[in-house]
Amino acid sequence: MEMSPIPKTAPFAEEEIDLLNRVVGPASANQRAWLAGFLAGLDAAGAGAVAPQPAAPARPAEPLTIVYASESGNSEKLAGDLAKSARKNGLKPTIIDMADLDLSALTTAKRLVFIAATWGEGEPPARATRVYNELMGDGAPRLEGVEFGVLALGDTAYAEFCAIGKKIDERLAALGGKRIVDRVDCDLDFAEPAGRWIGDAVKALAPPNAGGRVIEVDFGAKPAPALNTDVVEAEIIEYVDLNSSRSDKETIHLALSFEGGAPAYEPGDSLDLYPENDPAYVDDLLKAAGLSGDEKLRAEFIKSRDVTTLSLKTVEIYASSTGHQYVKTLLDEGQAKEWIGGRQLIDLIATFPIALDAEKLRALTRPLAPRAYSIASSRREVGDEAHLLISAVRYESHGRARKGVASSYVAERLKRGDRVRVKVKPNKHFALPAPDKDIIMVGPGTGVAPFRAFVQERRATEATGRSWLFFGDRHFTHDFLYQLDWQDALKDGALTRMDVAFSRDTPEKIYVQHKLWDRRAELIEWLDGGALFYVCGDAKAMAKDVRAALVRAYADVKALSPEAAEQAVVTLEREKRYLQDTY
Amino acid sequence: MTDDVSRNERIKEASDYLRGTLAEGLREEITGGIVEDDQQLVKFHGMYLQDDRDLRPERTRKKMEKAFAFMIRVRIPGGVLTPQQWLALDEVSRVYGNGTMRLTTRQTVQLHGVIKSNLKATLKAIDTVLLNSIAACGDINRNVMCNVLPEQSRAHAAAIELARSVSDHLLPHTPAYREIWLDGERIAGGEGEVVEPIYGKTYLPRKFKVVVAVPPSNDVDVFAHDLGYIAIADGAANIIGWNVTVGGGMGMTHGELDTYPRTADVMGFCKTADAVKIAEAVVTVQRDWGDRKSRKHARLKYTIEDRGLDAFRAEVERRAGVKLAPPKPFAFTSTGDRYGWSEGSDGRSHLTLFVQNGRVHDVGGVAQQTALRTIAQMHDGEFRITANQNLVIANVPTSQQAEIERIMREADLLAPWSGLRRNSMACVALPTCGLALAESERYLPDLLTALDEQLAAHGLSADDIVIRMTGCPNGCARPYLAEIGLVGKGPGRYNLYLGAAFDGSRMNKLYAEDLDHAGIVAALEPVFAAYAGGRQKGERFGDFAIRAGFVAASGNGRDFHDNTGDKRAVQ
Repeated sequence: MEMSPIPKTAPFAEEEIDLLNRVVGPASANQRAWLAGFLAGLDAAGAGAVAPQPAAPARPAEPLTIVYASESGNSEKLAGDLAKSARKNGLKPTIIDMADLDLSALTTAKRLVFIAATWGEGEPPARATRVYNELMGDGAPRLEGVEFGVLALGDTAYAEFCAIGKKIDERLAALGGKRIVDRVDCDLDFAEPAGRWIGDAVKALAPPNAGGRVIEVDFGAKPAPALNTDVVEAEIIEYVDLNSSRSDKETIHLALSFEGGAPAYEPGDSLDLYPENDPAYVDDLLKAAGLSGDEKLRAEFIKSRDVTTLSLKTVEIYASSTGHQYVKTLLDEGQAKEWIGGRQLIDLIATFPIALDAEKLRALTRPLAPRAYSIASSRREVGDEAHLLISAVRYESHGRARKGVASSYVAERLKRGDRVRVKVKPNKHFALPAPDKDIIMVGPGTGVAPFRAFVQERRATEATGRSWLFFGDRHFTHDFLYQLDWQDALKDGALTRMDVAFSRDTPEKIYVQHKLWDRRAELIEWLDGGALFYVCGDAKAMAKDVRAALVRAYADVKALSPEAAEQAVVTLEREKRYLQDTY
Repeated sequence: MTDDVSRNERIKEASDYLRGTLAEGLREEITGGIVEDDQQLVKFHGMYLQDDRDLRPERTRKKMEKAFAFMIRVRIPGGVLTPQQWLALDEVSRVYGNGTMRLTTRQTVQLHGVIKSNLKATLKAIDTVLLNSIAACGDINRNVMCNVLPEQSRAHAAAIELARSVSDHLLPHTPAYREIWLDGERIAGGEGEVVEPIYGKTYLPRKFKVVVAVPPSNDVDVFAHDLGYIAIADGAANIIGWNVTVGGGMGMTHGELDTYPRTADVMGFCKTADAVKIAEAVVTVQRDWGDRKSRKHARLKYTIEDRGLDAFRAEVERRAGVKLAPPKPFAFTSTGDRYGWSEGSDGRSHLTLFVQNGRVHDVGGVAQQTALRTIAQMHDGEFRITANQNLVIANVPTSQQAEIERIMREADLLAPWSGLRRNSMACVALPTCGLALAESERYLPDLLTALDEQLAAHGLSADDIVIRMTGCPNGCARPYLAEIGLVGKGPGRYNLYLGAAFDGSRMNKLYAEDLDHAGIVAALEPVFAAYAGGRQKGERFGDFAIRAGFVAASGNGRDFHDNTGDKRAVQ
């Protein structure tokens, strides 16, 4: 991608050229077209005219700015749905990834929609964090005269449900914006409520002269999905626990084979894996609910319901549908939120038993969602296969052994020759750059998966850019995932260098961020030379520690103040050279 | 150098005095191994690159290289450690090693399972208590052994002094160890400076082992080593000098009859003042006369066989400028340790512990490593590792005796073992040793349990019988000097040797080949039965096996493979 479209020779001051490049550089074709039209209209209207009047359309459409903050791609997809519907109703929508948003541009947006996902424990999607913080900060511009609406996406399984959407909604109003459609908070099954909200929003936002037209929303009747995002069946042709038999970890390498060719995925993309529940867990649940023997319900629960998640909403439904007095008290006294921590649906039913029928039990569950795993292979190297790297999640809480639904499905119930259902989940925000660019990859644990795809791809395409991988896990001897692959890649040049950090081999734990720090001089040299910096893996601690290490590296190597070093990393983020895929 | 020298000779010569590319190899983080030539050189620094052979079958499938780790063998002349040194080794074994310490048949401690990235930290930690692993392996003089002598404090002082003097004198001079492992400055040699005055660029043709023995105890197995000193005392128990032995060695190769274990010859007698000069001369003669073409024929024992003892003695005397006197009479009684308390001539007490196969660890509810750590923390005497892989808590004041005994008894280190078990040794073998053809340390305890049942049935439980097992024919546990020797042939298969002398003066002889567990038990049963019924008063098991015709007597080595099987001499 061309980062600096405005030449140094343009009739602007140097700072202005930088500023323009920052906006125009990363702009999509759509945005550039809009800008072209807007500027032309501005000139046509003469000096002093403020109302943007795009020149091209015969009947001038009213502009609508749609900002999405997306982690898994749902918000982004809904932004597209909204734009489509808006276009049909006399609006001219512009979609902006919140990661690329220049806040000052919002002051001139007459109509503004935010579609914002909440991630983890009430956090914005990683890419949107920087702009989100600006929006919440003192420097945010006033938005008088801007009509807005917010659609929030979240997961009731997490305590801070839709927190980011809520905060943005409040903030836009506090900055002087005018809310013209009420916010809706969507759970995992967002399709229907989101579709309805899009209809309401378009109705409220559409210019009056579009009246009389039926507001159309496409959420129900989906067009035939593109081939690469179909749910397809795949056969497991290789199944290996990559950790040694002495490891306390279990990380499964799956090679999937697709009849008639692998779906079109690119390095950086994920596969949604459709898991099934542990039959033993479902049996326990049915037993606790007094519904053992209901084979139909058992089969349904194993295949298609989320029977583990326990949210405040679940507790509320339980209280109202059963009238259980203790559960009501728990809610009334505000203790439910704390109680559900570390617990699952079975704990609720086992702790507060009451007669349940199948319908009431079903109402406590949600549809079983797929789990996305970064693809660990490149089609250019493995042909009709896709490889996944899946770490078995097992822990204990409140006296019960717990397992990750999808990971234990893979680790405990699948074997070579079995078939699984998967769907490609593209991630264009985590793709390889041009082949001559250098890349730095930080991927401890299963975070290394997409980088195996990167390295395979770069080998297959004979990319000339250098590549540098930072990997970490617990023990060198027992947890070095894909060690032989990396050794081969270093030999054949697909990987230029590799640094490793094994946390349990030494008295003091060493993590990838320590290795980044050790190698800071060369690291900054690579980045100064235009390298892209990729981080994949744990979002809670690792991704933050890695970013902090990079800031410190800039400060140390270039003798910068902490603020200036932070700014150096912000610049990388703005230039889309600091890319994350964390979970 | 001629074209037909062995590959190791070229590696040594090109190594720049044992540096090779070890420093570069350490920085290579993606592999736990080092390149082949460095694998030879690292031995001179006291380490072997090994891999966990139990894990081999799964590694490639799991897309991982072999489970590489290093064995570090510390150099401990005479096996004597201070409590602080014991504590340091105990700690590194738990922090960087596999959580165990291995006392060896040559009085050192081996740490196993140290991965490459932790080597420097481990060696630095060892260095802080003035220990190192320089020349603990490799074609060079290795750890110098010395009788532990719990009851002869004065003789021990003289013997350990000689052991340390020889050890120091034969140390390599290259600063490579300090440079590579301790981040020492590279020391540039001056123009024309002789870096290794004793060894030269290519060191010795093969490993070289020195021991010091004080009769009547032959715990160091003086006849099993390249060079030995046997203390000769006057009537007042003052050591007046040493008988010098040369040409012992255990290694051989299955099926190659021109390789054989050999017991050393007594070459002569020297005064204490000349002992180190003799050691240097023996080393330099072997350096120049030893076979550098075939590593299987490179030990001093073959040099002496090829050149003759007289020629060798003459050359040693010439180089040392010392004329050796004829050997003085001496008498050994056993190769074993004397368990329990003994009082030294200076009034201090020593407690000898039985450490099964020398493995110090906490396992199966028995916390031996923890117990020994407790002793090290309260004790200000010495730890002495014996040549039988056991341990002596030396120089214990009377006030601590009861407490130390209580702790050791609780840790099963003073248990009343059978006469067979307390005279047993096994080498490490699987899963770490790359040479092992069969199990040894992990198997011997179970075999002993089966044999103990038989011995009990014959009323032989209390009789001292020496049994030793190795996983390959190289002989680390000196199996050819055991009354019952078992040498690994293949997985679960052993050759059985009988008829060695209890005092370590005569080797055994092959009795049966390729036995599995049941085969070993079945083969020994009639021998035990015959011994129980037919032994003469005081007759040792090994001597009986010869007198009763189970095997012929072995000479000093060249005849080791003769008179076995059908050609067995029947008396």
